[in-house]
Amino acid sequence: MSGAARIEENATCLGCGCACDDIAVVIDGGRITEARNACALGVRWFGDGSLPGAVLGGRTAAIEDALGEIATMLRAARAPLVYLAPDLTSEAQRAAIAVADQLRAFLDSFTSSTAGEGILAAQRRGRASATLGEIRNRADVIVFWAVDPAASYPRFQTRYAPIPVGIHLPNGRKDRTVIAVDVGGQRGPDDADVRIQMTAEEEPLFLASLRASLAGRTVGDAPIVARVTELATRLNRAKYAVIVTDAESPPPVPNGRADALIALSQSLNATTRGSLCTLRAGGNRNGADTTLTWQTGFPMAVDFSRGVPRYQPEDATLPRLARGAIDAALVVGAASAIPENVVKALGGVRTAVIGPRASEGAISASIRIDTGVAGIHESGIAFRLDDLPLPLRALLPTPRDTASLLKALGTAIAAQGARA
Amino acid sequence: MTQLRITGGAIHDPANGVDGDVRDICISDGRIVASLPADAPVLNASGMVIMAGGIDIHAHVAASSVTLGRRLLPEEHTLDPAAAPALEDGTIPRSGTGGTVPSTFTTGYRYAGLGYTTVFDAAVAPVSARQTHAEFDDTPIIDGGFFTLLGNDEYLHRQIAANELGRAKDYVAWILKSTGAYAIKVVNPGGVELWKRNVREVKTLDDPVGASNVTPRRILEVLASAAIDLGLPHPVHIHCNNLGVAGNVAMTLESMRALEGRRAHFTHLQFHSYGGERGKSWSSAARQVAEYVNSHPEVTGDVGQVMFGDATTLTADGAVEYLLHTSTGRKWINADIELETGCGIVPYTYKDKAAVASLQWVVGLELFLLSTDPWRMVLSTDHPNGGSFMSYPDLIRLLMDRAYRDAKLKSVNQKMLAGSALADGIAREYTLNEIAIITRAGPARQLGLVHKGHLGAGADADITIYSRDANFAKMFSTPRFVLKAGTLVVEEGQLRRAPAGKRIYVQPGYDDSLMRDLGKYFEAYSAIQLANYPVTGLRDTPMPTGAA
Repeated sequence: MSGAARIEENATCLGCGCACDDIAVVIDGGRITEARNACALGVRWFGDGSLPGAVLGGRTAAIEDALGEIATMLRAARAPLVYLAPDLTSEAQRAAIAVADQLRAFLDSFTSSTAGEGILAAQRRGRASATLGEIRNRADVIVFWAVDPAASYPRFQTRYAPIPVGIHLPNGRKDRTVIAVDVGGQRGPDDADVRIQMTAEEEPLFLASLRASLAGRTVGDAPIVARVTELATRLNRAKYAVIVTDAESPPPVPNGRADALIALSQSLNATTRGSLCTLRAGGNRNGADTTLTWQTGFPMAVDFSRGVPRYQPEDATLPRLARGAIDAALVVGAASAIPENVVKALGGVRTAVIGPRASEGAISASIRIDTGVAGIHESGIAFRLDDLPLPLRALLPTPRDTASLLKALGTAIAAQGARA
Repeated sequence: MTQLRITGGAIHDPANGVDGDVRDICISDGRIVASLPADAPVLNASGMVIMAGGIDIHAHVAASSVTLGRRLLPEEHTLDPAAAPALEDGTIPRSGTGGTVPSTFTTGYRYAGLGYTTVFDAAVAPVSARQTHAEFDDTPIIDGGFFTLLGNDEYLHRQIAANELGRAKDYVAWILKSTGAYAIKVVNPGGVELWKRNVREVKTLDDPVGASNVTPRRILEVLASAAIDLGLPHPVHIHCNNLGVAGNVAMTLESMRALEGRRAHFTHLQFHSYGGERGKSWSSAARQVAEYVNSHPEVTGDVGQVMFGDATTLTADGAVEYLLHTSTGRKWINADIELETGCGIVPYTYKDKAAVASLQWVVGLELFLLSTDPWRMVLSTDHPNGGSFMSYPDLIRLLMDRAYRDAKLKSVNQKMLAGSALADGIAREYTLNEIAIITRAGPARQLGLVHKGHLGAGADADITIYSRDANFAKMFSTPRFVLKAGTLVVEEGQLRRAPAGKRIYVQPGYDDSLMRDLGKYFEAYSAIQLANYPVTGLRDTPMPTGAA
């Protein structure tokens, strides 16, 4: 480390939805050289903070010209798409939603093709939830349902639960019971106190039986009932039970898990207290759902084509692209983090990308503008997986601020007049 | 310099003792001034009624809880799409959705369309304050502020347990300053923490909350004193224990007596004014509450009227929402928020065929009609809990038009109304000046907003101009003109401009010695770094605090 190195304390990591905000980032010679406290995933997410030298995917046009070109392309489209990719500040997400509203576009995010099922279930049923700090301070029984956070949420267990000491768990891990539920190949953590196994096919019946058992009824045959009874007993004895599920790794074949886990966690509250913790991946995904909700009333898949927001979760980005119902796209955010099937489906569509490393071409696009990464180069707000807002501070200069750029795009669109 | 002279209108400006006099109102640079040059532009308001812009002292419009509610209600939003207005000021207009919990832009446009220009969100978890600021940034036209939740805060409870009252006060100041809040809110003091511990009922004001000396009574006392000692413009804003429960009037009056002699605001009192007995009977106890408030000038309140139709119950009071979920079978959100508070949401429909809803409707109207001092009992529906803010015009008609009210009273379920004052007949009809008091002048006084709620020189030029109509609901639902800080936002009944509103907040001081202890607490129990807790980059000038 040279003498010019500086340390940015309390940086927020968006490597996963845990959004750990205790990272000490060491910066030397304009590069990130260390991300202290970060897990391996976080270290990868911070990287060295470098961005491609190119500003406009291999071209040298002025930004204003590029924005004008994007505006023209989107205005000329019959059915444009604005797609929110990860690594945006919520300020940038809000500005992108404004552009979609102005264009009467279809607006969607990665959520519809990843965590959408859980969101729809929560719209039918509601949910019983707790923020991560509440889980840390209160949860004495933690059920990891078909998820081992070690791989995709590496600091979950040390930072939130079960390991830390909490107000009502003065001895930390010793005061908590950890239950791993293995569903087929989706396993809970190895060091759980209790392990309950089932096949993917058994899962729906198991969940139904578990809810019945909590209500004092018996449903199912003997082999299931034995396992159900063990789990129900432990849940009923809990002071505060938390069930942890991974919204990003749904069952291989949809089987109603998200819906059943919501119902289960709600019904825990008839006798004790309990909640469901829904894990989400990084890049401010909850921010996209949250900002879209406050601006339009819907968390994803919003169709502005009739001049008002219409909710189209059953006809989101993928089916629209598949049937050729989208003829131009603006992708905002980290194109490299977009689900592969969406990238593929965008193949034949005229596309512009505004986001970090746009010029590196994760998506083939006619216009690409490089911007910074939320929380590394750009300041603003991001939402943790429990919907709590956290601050993001620029650690390094951004080539251009995404939110400002999107506002300028809005101005350029307005200057060209209403869409034909 | 933008100037405007409004001529010919009947001015209802009770704060300045003006009751329907026809005079000019002069506006320069966003404020009301004593006079203008003779050649200033003129807005002719002949025959119309002029009041200050409306002020909503208690609503839920910009908070994490509100957005959880928005997410829960796609079916409502689908039924009430809101197209972008045709604006003339160069701002890009935004579409949205309505229902009981409208999207942010639609919230701003609709409030302005009703002639409301200032709105306070009544329940913001401190840890989510930066979301509230961002949502207000997306809520155009209205000036916004919020009250932050402190009645179930772990750190505060610890200071009360240790009798560290100086530190408790410093902590309150730090929370207000860090979040950019305007006032202290207490929801079900101690009861939300108890709900997290699976204790579902607060039986008395002296029930222990963890430690034996931390009780709802102590929490109320400490926070009421903190508001006074810090010289906050608005006193502690209290949602009492046992909301919505038969017989809760005893707890409500006990809470008021506990703070006797100290300034305090008791909110949505309708939900806290029931006689009878839990699980057995319900009756109106509005008269008892109104009599207490009438005879105690240090107490202010808002009503929290129930209006028939769809509502969304949305509160930090998680325990009550579980009861509502189980009794209605409707969908339910509970969100326990670390170290500070909780949140519960259940959609609800108040039906005039239902006995309890009819009783609630009557209790609210009785509070309005039996309160002798309108300055201290102001209008709210606890939007969206008792009904949407869009129902305020109909509520105003119920207060101003006895024939309309009595006809409606006959059509509601009578089962629980025996012996109620309203059923026995109340002749009172609110005057235009009294409406001006309960919708602008009164809230402004309660909130300590010296530049709002009146039309004297120096006031913000937030002005609403109504065409007279014998149907007061119609009159108040469609103002002809609305000015916000001197800008004509509604012209001939159409929304034409949507300037950004201002933020209303305080920045009280505290003793820095707090930070060492607070740092240790954060280190031990918080899931957020202390350094990341305060909201930064607050805009606009804070309101002054401290002894006058």
